[in-house]
Amino acid sequence: MTFSEGTLSVLIYGSLIWCGLSALGLAAMLIRDGKSGEIW
Amino acid sequence: MAEDKVFLDPTVGWILLALFSVLWIGLGVYWGRRNKSFEDHALAGRNVGLALGTATAAATWITSNTTMLAPQFALQLGIWGMLAYSTAAFGLILFAPMAKRIRQLMPHGYTSGDFFRLRYGRAAWAIFLVFTLFYSLTWLVSMAMAGGILLEALAGIDYAWGMSVILAVCVIYTMRGGLAAVIGTDFIQSLIIIVGICVTGFAVLQNVSVSEIHANLTATKPALLDVLFPAAIMAIFNNLLFGLGEVFHNNVWWSRAFAFREGVASKAFLMGGLVWLPIPIAAGFIALASGALGVAVPSADMVGPLVIAEVLGGVGAVAIFIVVFCSLASSIDSLLAATSDLVTEDIWRRLLHPSSSADNLKRTAQWVTLGLGVLTWLICLPRIGTLATVLFFAGPLVGSMIWPIVTGLYWRSANTVGAIGAMVLGASVGLYFYFAIGFYVATLIATAVSMVWTLGACALAKGRFDWTRLKEAA
Repeated sequence: MTFSEGTLSVLIYGSLIWCGLSALGLAAMLIRDGKSGEIW
Repeated sequence: MAEDKVFLDPTVGWILLALFSVLWIGLGVYWGRRNKSFEDHALAGRNVGLALGTATAAATWITSNTTMLAPQFALQLGIWGMLAYSTAAFGLILFAPMAKRIRQLMPHGYTSGDFFRLRYGRAAWAIFLVFTLFYSLTWLVSMAMAGGILLEALAGIDYAWGMSVILAVCVIYTMRGGLAAVIGTDFIQSLIIIVGICVTGFAVLQNVSVSEIHANLTATKPALLDVLFPAAIMAIFNNLLFGLGEVFHNNVWWSRAFAFREGVASKAFLMGGLVWLPIPIAAGFIALASGALGVAVPSADMVGPLVIAEVLGGVGAVAIFIVVFCSLASSIDSLLAATSDLVTEDIWRRLLHPSSSADNLKRTAQWVTLGLGVLTWLICLPRIGTLATVLFFAGPLVGSMIWPIVTGLYWRSANTVGAIGAMVLGASVGLYFYFAIGFYVATLIATAVSMVWTLGACALAKGRFDWTRLKEAA
């Protein structure tokens, strides 16, 4: 039994999109923290 | 391989190294101006917000191993290899509720050593310090060595120079800026790493489709697609437990739990784990594409840079250089800061100079950081090639501490006999099987033995721990 092409696609594209969203999320959180004076 | 071909012109490598060195040191000095006391220096004033908290949890866990070893895992163990590496994220995710508990139980705590001393007494504390300092120094040395080796392989920068520069830069900004500098630079480094991996991943997919990768693997290396690949499935358990043990015990993570603002710790570790989770797959799949792209891989540990440089040329080589440099710096600085705080708080303050002033402790922490840097440099200089093995050797030590920490945080029945026995017995049996069978079972066995002993000691315990004893005044 082997991993299908579909599974591999989901893993690869899913991880790359997840990384992209993580970077955007971190930047958005920093802006939000900055606005409320809670960076540190 | 490193001697045969480099990916980047050495002059470009040196320019990049110089630019980032100036940036990190400048930021370290700038952020260090906020630090007035040991608490500011060691814990960034205990007021770190969610964005920086999340980023530093993720960035510290992204070592050069994540960006370089994940592709090697994929090349050797296939899809399960990438997934196995990803399980290390559960160390951060499962630490999230513990971080909240740590913050509640020890509002004035500084280190994971404080927990062992107050919870289990001096004998358990001493064993913990030996285990954790051995592990931390090994990790630090392996990261600095990896820095020298990778900079030489990527840009032809001499090993001794590359290792010395990256170590010196991290020592300088950690000394000057303390944890604030470490966490601040971690944020920038995490963004660079994540964006770099994401962009290079999509760029590779412009040159080869998933369909072609799958077809090539099916034809040439079907084992890498095997759902029942035994060695890879074993790797999942080993990686998972190693990750849990490392995060649960090491002061790198405890110091962050103490440093994060009230209410932030659990969210930051949970989100940090989720940010980290896809990175081994995003970085690792590139290795699976090597066959479909026709890239020869003479050395498995350099498969990531080989594929990226082959497909993306000079731009790809610059990208991988920057990602690797940031991965190294984000881990080395954290280890320097957390280990120097452990030595300063647990050995200097609690054992040698209990009446030290806040200012004295801050200066001591800075000198300890410098001393650690010099010690690491001296160990790294001869370029011993076996440190990866030593790091695996630390696996049983790390695994044996999981249960004393978890039960000690949640169960009043957890006790000194249980903790000491779990660490000594678990580590001893684990190390025996490390030599008798192999590294891949050592952590698992150490953790299992430690668990049985701890649970037995808890079941037989008559006394109940008073949680207020952990609220020791600073």
